[in-house]
Amino acid sequence: MKPFKNSLLVLMFLTLFSSTVCAARIEISAPGEQTIPLAMTRLLPMGSEQAGVAEEFLQVLLGDLELSGLFAMVDPASFLSDADKLGLRRTDIDFYQWRMLGSEALIKGGYSFSADKLTIELRLYDVITQRLLTGRRYIGKLTDVRKIAHTFADQVLLSLTGEKGPFSTKIAYISNRTGRKELYLMDVDGHQPVRMTDHRTIVLNPDFSPTRKELIFTSYKNGNPDLFRKEIYTGRESRVSLKQGLNIGGRYSPEGREIALTLSKDKNSEIYLIGTDGTIHRRLTNHYGIDVDPSWSPKGNKIAFVSDRRGNPNIFVVDVFSLKVSRLTYEGKYNATPAWSPKDDRIAFARMDNGVFNVFTIREDGTDERQLTFGAGSKEHPRWSPDGRFLIYSHDLDGKKSIWIMRADGSGAKRISAPGGDDTHPAWSERW
Amino acid sequence: MQKLTITRLVVMLFALTLLASGCAKKPVAEQSSMTEQPAQVEMQQQEPAAVAEQTVSDSAATDTAAYDAAAAARAAERAAASGLNRIYFDFDQYVLTDAAKSTLVSNAGLLRAAPAIKVMIEGHCDERGSDEYNLALGEKRALATKNYLVSLGVAAERMNVISYGEEMPLDAARTKEAWAKNRRSEFKIKR
Repeated sequence: MKPFKNSLLVLMFLTLFSSTVCAARIEISAPGEQTIPLAMTRLLPMGSEQAGVAEEFLQVLLGDLELSGLFAMVDPASFLSDADKLGLRRTDIDFYQWRMLGSEALIKGGYSFSADKLTIELRLYDVITQRLLTGRRYIGKLTDVRKIAHTFADQVLLSLTGEKGPFSTKIAYISNRTGRKELYLMDVDGHQPVRMTDHRTIVLNPDFSPTRKELIFTSYKNGNPDLFRKEIYTGRESRVSLKQGLNIGGRYSPEGREIALTLSKDKNSEIYLIGTDGTIHRRLTNHYGIDVDPSWSPKGNKIAFVSDRRGNPNIFVVDVFSLKVSRLTYEGKYNATPAWSPKDDRIAFARMDNGVFNVFTIREDGTDERQLTFGAGSKEHPRWSPDGRFLIYSHDLDGKKSIWIMRADGSGAKRISAPGGDDTHPAWSERW
Repeated sequence: MQKLTITRLVVMLFALTLLASGCAKKPVAEQSSMTEQPAQVEMQQQEPAAVAEQTVSDSAATDTAAYDAAAAARAAERAAASGLNRIYFDFDQYVLTDAAKSTLVSNAGLLRAAPAIKVMIEGHCDERGSDEYNLALGEKRALATKNYLVSLGVAAERMNVISYGEEMPLDAARTKEAWAKNRRSEFKIKR
């Protein structure tokens, strides 16, 4: 738990420059459409050197920024003398050098480490106008380097696009690396994995609370697939729903006060809304077919789910208030695991063709279906980042399943979970 | 000679007196004879005691009959435990195939013969398909299995169902044969 402790102090630095300066010039509507040439220097020591800090910071920040797809990184081999100068203030920087290299944005920074306290100072400059876009000073422990880098990456995206990045969040997933399926938590880049459960049975399908540092998941710990809740920092755990039969696929409502899930207490799987205390609020579906896999719309007024009520599994949408059900997918023979984008406009899902799942998205009105993944090995369980920029999913490759991340348009796919087991069912936290 | 005649006389007299006393009650002599007879009765009672050993062995025979019944019940339970066969399903189906139904007819016979045992019916799926959908599908399979056994006379309260979806494959291989093996209902005995 300790690495997640928010021991970090984030301070706005340099009130000299108003934040309204930010994002005035560079406009980006979607990743991949336009890239900003960005130069990023190594952190320089503001005092005695501390081995590893600069390297780790660079690697983490570079990973995040490359994943965003917003930048073309200027080759560090071409950097001139200003890259080795500690001067971080606008007047200290030789913008002409950076302009010569073709860069339009520049990240410079320095660090100091004393009395167990790590301080990292960072600046993002617009090279063309020679203006500071964002300045930040982070104070934490030596073990917070990764967290600081992720936090600054979020800040860089906020400065350049007007919306914060999702990098200083957490990903929950299921892994069988102990021999049993247990719940794990890791950083967005797959680092710092921590096992959260020791149920030694089968743990399935986690979801984050949008308001608390808390997860829900299904476990067979008590001999029945019950829905559990776990507080991440205290480790406190309890059963939320323990109806006879299935208590699966729990998903917090956007405001966190209700949970949609599948219950089969009446011998048939239906979607229900329950309170966070487990009491049933209402039943959303009523059909003898299979109804599973609820996913909330960001407004909380609709829920996408999977049903075989028309024969094969397909995605349907139920209105939470009128209970009116409409069908979303018509193509393909097997459509499952819907995930509604927090941006409202698209629903991701997995479609099986010839035994292989791929990730698709479709608009809420059933139009503009797009295939995001291709090729061998099933890609399943898509879930969105809180800003809707990215998707995570489990990818079955050469008989081993791992967690992958890609941009919302399907580009930039890369593996994030470490080898050593089958990793499935990722879920992305809100801002951490 | 005289001695002989005297003894004869004495015997005769004694005999006469015995005859004469046939009707009369001579308690002393009778009592002594009475006291001897119970001893004989006792002897006779001991002999039936020996016969009673045979009746003990008779009752032992009825014990083995009871023992045989218990053994038969245990044998039936053993038969049920080892003889309850899995049934298999088609992909994305929970409708019982003809082969599954005939297996269940045999399973129902075993369960009816062993009324003391309870059974957990587990529904399983192959790995293809979504995990949650398969949990629901596995439950449908287990319920279809239970309902058919109920229709064949197995008490519903003896059977519980649980779905493991695709979580517990019998064969982890990714072949048609392995998938066919994994789409199943299994029977676990609970005593």
